[in-house]
Amino acid sequence: MGGQWLLFSVDLLALFGIYLALNLSLRLQLGYTGIANFGLVLAFTGGAYVGGWLPIRLGMWLVEVDPSLAEDMIWNNVIIASQVDLSLQGAPFTAMTILLLTLLAAGAAGALLGLLSGYPAVRLGGDYLAISLLAFGEVLAIIGNNYDPVVGGPLGVRIPDVWAWAGDWRFMAASLANCVLALGVWVYLNSVERSPLGRVLRAIRDNSDAAASLGKNVARIRLNVIVAGGIICGLAGAMYTLYTTGVAPSALSRFDWTFLPWVMVIFGGSGSNVGVLIGTFVFILVQKLIITYKFALSFLPFDPVWLQFLLMGLVLILVLNFRPSGLVTEKASYALGRREMAKAAGKEGL
Amino acid sequence: MASFIDALTYSALLGLMGFGLTLIRRTTGVWNVAHGEVVTIGAYVALTATSFLSHSPYFFLPLAFIVCAAVSGIIFLAGIEPIRAKGASSMLLLVVTIAISLITIAAINIYADYLQNVFHLASKNFLFARFDFTLWGQMGILWSAWAALGALTVSYYLMLQHTRLGLALRALAEQPALAIVMGANVKALSFLSWCLAGGAAGLAGCLFPMRFQCHPGVGTSMIATMFAVSIFGGIEKMYGPLFAGLVLGFAQIYGIDLISSWIGPGVIPFKDLIPMIVLLLTLQFLPEGLSGFVGRRRG
Repeated sequence: MGGQWLLFSVDLLALFGIYLALNLSLRLQLGYTGIANFGLVLAFTGGAYVGGWLPIRLGMWLVEVDPSLAEDMIWNNVIIASQVDLSLQGAPFTAMTILLLTLLAAGAAGALLGLLSGYPAVRLGGDYLAISLLAFGEVLAIIGNNYDPVVGGPLGVRIPDVWAWAGDWRFMAASLANCVLALGVWVYLNSVERSPLGRVLRAIRDNSDAAASLGKNVARIRLNVIVAGGIICGLAGAMYTLYTTGVAPSALSRFDWTFLPWVMVIFGGSGSNVGVLIGTFVFILVQKLIITYKFALSFLPFDPVWLQFLLMGLVLILVLNFRPSGLVTEKASYALGRREMAKAAGKEGL
Repeated sequence: MASFIDALTYSALLGLMGFGLTLIRRTTGVWNVAHGEVVTIGAYVALTATSFLSHSPYFFLPLAFIVCAAVSGIIFLAGIEPIRAKGASSMLLLVVTIAISLITIAAINIYADYLQNVFHLASKNFLFARFDFTLWGQMGILWSAWAALGALTVSYYLMLQHTRLGLALRALAEQPALAIVMGANVKALSFLSWCLAGGAAGLAGCLFPMRFQCHPGVGTSMIATMFAVSIFGGIEKMYGPLFAGLVLGFAQIYGIDLISSWIGPGVIPFKDLIPMIVLLLTLQFLPEGLSGFVGRRRG
């Protein structure tokens, strides 16, 4: 029982880290800049594909694996991944090298996908921008499902476990790494919050015409934000793949990686990092509980997993009706900290 | 020839799906992400009625129209209107339709599971081709899909041009603020638009399994294509989806067959990329769509 709960908690932590990073990326785009990015899944999928494609090749290069297996990397991926796993169990440095190189490539892929999807979209207004990004989000799913060399087509691929060296602590290490990613994004957003950049982003969100009249290049700044968001999503996608040690295009759906983050962010409040954190935790917990206890509901004549969708939709409608700013509303942010403000006020004799 | 006929059939069905999306956007300013699920509900109405009443799905076209019109009307009254009344932006309303989409996806899948587990129906993957008839050497779905789309487009056009209700709907679409000042009942007109749009989606959903495989996610998977039809056709005129459906349907089925005969069959699985490309090119270079472009040239 204790072991079950530990596994539950560790998996909860892992998903929480991934979703928090993804949701903070949405917070940067929607909450700060007013960009309704319905294509989060694009950069996330890009990162996940990099996570499915690169580690196995790096593994073959860095550790000793039967070279004849490379003739068909997709067909032999399970054997290659198993052989690489055996080597990585005693080679944490090699494993971390694979991890870092994969993250670098995934971040670059996310940035590129953000640029490609954002460039034509940023000049569009409101809901047209949203639909444009929604359409972009579908592109990689179509390619991944139909072009086997990427990640093995609809069946997907297994990848080497870069956490194999941690032994019994493998899941804990991977979960903590996911949370470190989320923490990094959190720190970055906090630094943006009080910076001149943060104020420019909020100005664009609140009145893009006014921001443009003050000399701000609105389209370019929006594009930069989409690219930054793309990097975060790409990293989250790669971390997810490295955690699950496999990737299949069908697991990277619009609902799981675009709409669910939207529900979490709207529920918690797109104007607050804390709100996003609460929204993420609540929904991941509910999702995990439904999946864990679905067998207790086996008397139902349908798959209880659908209750999660029902719940998500209802909660979103209720929040939009009665508290559109979410659980935690946006607070005014100041250029200086409290102490500096008090000091400045003292000097001014206020 | 077979792919030409498939393309013609698919075009009509796309036109029917895009018709509803365009109508809702044109009259109420909302892009309805849940429209795909309403199409799926139409397919499940046909499956249920056909399975339990043992008649051809064609008999149940009116039923599919009514059920989906009712569902769409309820979506408007329960989901959209309360939030719109508070002055929500079109962006926020789009998010509301996502919430509705999640609820309807859950409801459709629960219903499909129920049909499968309790009545042992093949509700996760079905096709009604065996029920189809043949007319002039072609499957009935070709004629019926075009008849439904043609009848809907023409009757809607006549209603817009020659009735007081149509005049009010035009006013709502073109000058909503003025329409309100002049005493138009915006809520009733919007409700009517959502019902009509839902009815059109129901027809598309009921006809779709006559030629193409259906499953609980069929409408959801086609929503980006529906957006492409609606945006490429333009929201200015209701004949837009008809022409856009033709172009996209042919590009996706007939066009890809032609391309594959030149560069090999490897390109066929990527046919679903075509609507995305068309959508993105339209938003960049022809944001008013085909009908808007034609109107501008004339005018």
